[in-house]
Amino acid sequence: MPANWGYVLAAYGLAAVTLLAYWRHLARRARALTTRRSVRTRAA
Amino acid sequence: MTRALGWLAVLGLVAGLAAGFGYAPSEAVQGNVQRIMYLHVPSVLTAYLAFMLVLLGSMGYLATRRPRWDRLAGSAAEIGVLFTGLTIVSGSIWGKPTWGTWWTWDARLTSTAVLFLVYVGYLLLRNLIDEPDARGRYAAVVGIVGAINIPIVHFSVKWWRALHQPSTILGPEPSPLAFPLKVALYVNIVAFLLLFAYFLSRRIEIARLEEETA
Repeated sequence: MPANWGYVLAAYGLAAVTLLAYWRHLARRARALTTRRSVRTRAA
Repeated sequence: MTRALGWLAVLGLVAGLAAGFGYAPSEAVQGNVQRIMYLHVPSVLTAYLAFMLVLLGSMGYLATRRPRWDRLAGSAAEIGVLFTGLTIVSGSIWGKPTWGTWWTWDARLTSTAVLFLVYVGYLLLRNLIDEPDARGRYAAVVGIVGAINIPIVHFSVKWWRALHQPSTILGPEPSPLAFPLKVALYVNIVAFLLLFAYFLSRRIEIARLEEETA
């Protein structure tokens, strides 16, 4: 069986990119909503 | 609490990589490509857990109409779709060098694709309905019906003749894995469950903020 490291790297690389992108999406969304809430609280 | 979970997940993932690439040896038949198992199996188990929580949240919402159950279901579904996607992609990459194909309409692969599409549909449905109670009720029905797919996916390799190997763990027979491979797999499963708990905690908080600012 050949080493096949390329497949291993592709699988782990894609997973890492996907999980980091989701983490970043959550962080941005949370920040945007927290800002929106504090703007509303100040305006009220 | 959420931050601590995040750091625990990071530590778990680092330990998982060390166990999968440092501690566990190259598998005798498949060679290094078998190391994809430490990503593939934890991903699908995390997805199972996520969709079980969708079922729980959906039943809880229909029984009580409390928004927190709907938040749990919607948040778990989103993360479940993420991990099912990772399962399909990592399995496809693993399939090419071992089976000679990226994809085949095998019972396990097909039922997993159906599971993925059902919950993508669940998320689309949630986005289509603005009224919170109607969204919660309709989504709960899909969430409960969709959960029927979980045992179908898991037992598909027993119920039908499949190219996919039988369950490595959670099967009726003892696991065929050698000890170091089993240790690496369990470390990665714990790491993925910690990551899931972290994502779920953050996603539920976002869902609560979305309701507050709607």
